[in-house]
Amino acid sequence: MENILLDRVTFSYGKKETIKRFSISFGKGEFCALIGPNGAGKSTILKLCSGILKPQSGKIKLFNKDLEGYPSKERAGLVSYLPQLLDTNVSFKVMELAEMGLYPGGGGLSPDEAIGVAGLKEKAGYSITELSAGEKRRAFFAMLLVQGAKTLLLDEPLSHLDIKYQVELVKLLKDIIEKSGITVVMAVHDINTVFQFQKVCVIKDGGLFAAGSPGEIITKELIREVFEVEAENLLPQRIL
Amino acid sequence: MKKINISILIIASISITLFSLLFGPSFINPFSLDDISGKILFQLRLPRVVTSFLIGSSLGASGAILQGILRNPLADPYILGISSGSALFAAASLMAGSAFLGPSTTALLAFSGALITCGIVGALGYKDGILLPERLLLAGIGLGFLFTAVLMLFMSLSTNYGMRRALLWIFGDLSMADWSQIPWGVLLISAGLILSISRAKGLNALMLGDEIAHSLGFSPSGERLVFFTSVSLMTATSVALGGVIGFIGLLIPHIVRFLTGSDAKTLIPLSALLGAGLLTLADTIGRTVIAPSELPSGVVTSLIGAPYFLYLLRKKI
Repeated sequence: MENILLDRVTFSYGKKETIKRFSISFGKGEFCALIGPNGAGKSTILKLCSGILKPQSGKIKLFNKDLEGYPSKERAGLVSYLPQLLDTNVSFKVMELAEMGLYPGGGGLSPDEAIGVAGLKEKAGYSITELSAGEKRRAFFAMLLVQGAKTLLLDEPLSHLDIKYQVELVKLLKDIIEKSGITVVMAVHDINTVFQFQKVCVIKDGGLFAAGSPGEIITKELIREVFEVEAENLLPQRIL
Repeated sequence: MKKINISILIIASISITLFSLLFGPSFINPFSLDDISGKILFQLRLPRVVTSFLIGSSLGASGAILQGILRNPLADPYILGISSGSALFAAASLMAGSAFLGPSTTALLAFSGALITCGIVGALGYKDGILLPERLLLAGIGLGFLFTAVLMLFMSLSTNYGMRRALLWIFGDLSMADWSQIPWGVLLISAGLILSISRAKGLNALMLGDEIAHSLGFSPSGERLVFFTSVSLMTATSVALGGVIGFIGLLIPHIVRFLTGSDAKTLIPLSALLGAGLLTLADTIGRTVIAPSELPSGVVTSLIGAPYFLYLLRKKI
């Protein structure tokens, strides 16, 4: 059974069609990167999968049932979403934020554990407005770990993170996937990071351009065609 | 620290309220009540203190809620055009010279005006079935200007003395407080308070942004509608009880946030309590210092509250 399945989904903001008859599925335990140029539709796909946006046509299934048919609390146990911009300026404490992960009913880590995992133990009593951009993102991630949904949709979670935390976050996600069999789908901006994923989906102009394991599908030709740059200028030599 | 602050806020607000019963143009000793001082206490001061407590609590709580659901720190309970709407209705009734609903006609019309304004603002706030904060805010501001303009038009065309008096009342006057309006005031305001405090988690989630609120299992638009309804109810009731009183709805929530944080579970009840305490204190000072005349309570709230707010601002940010 797939966690999330999109079947010929079309979505437009106003008149412009952003997502065109898009089909994809994410299964249990998958660790998947969505990659594509700016405006390709990565964020829109994540928002469709989480139910924030509703498609104009096509079907979205969450664990074999229509996504829209779920009561919100039940849905929140199956899929959670972290946006790219965390623009809140409300002075919640890190601990208060982590505890909000319990609102849908809990199911993940305890707030204390999650804060530890996010590397914020020392800052549990700080207001999130006092944190750096990277720490703030980790605080929201702690909330997601407490929520403990079976599918995590993360929109560019690695941006604003120090390279140390990028590596740690990816490692942490792999650990959690291994332990509890959750599914993680994240939009990724930096093509260098996709090689850490099991699966990569390349999005171009609102359609699925290619999908598969990164070693197989990321080629010079693909990079030229999707990103309109020569791979020599982009990737470290070892990959080429 | 937070716990101490919370206890201080609660004790201060409650003791201010109790002591303010004793002060006024004449001091009342509660242990030697005679006929006259008993009448002053129960027929004049108690209803007035209860009224200011009700208004202050509904404004403090409404401000905290609106700043959350509109995600705008400058939001106050009147930003949605409620004050202009109720002023317009009350003035229109007085222009027509009618008291067709008995002695509480002006209050009733102010209440309906406020609710009708909220209804229109709420309807304008929807787009594609979703209640959007920026649309609500702009609809409220736009409608407020329209109603104020119509009101000004009425005023410039009218020579009616009664209307001027009514407008003074609309802009904040507690001296007419009596027992007759208190029962439904208590009912409506506590309904609004209980409804919003029971949904405090939803307000916290909304403060994190609609997308995160959705991910946490809330319907952002639905939560916003519940809070908007309870704010409308509380603010409309407070305008009907004592007119439009500034400062409390805008700044009390900020003071509470400085002292005890943003968690709506404490923010809403403490904003209500501190709003009630401050308005009661201000009204007591206003009717005492230049007795037998009175200072408008809106003036006193700002004179006490604003310097304290500025002090906190310097200290905390």
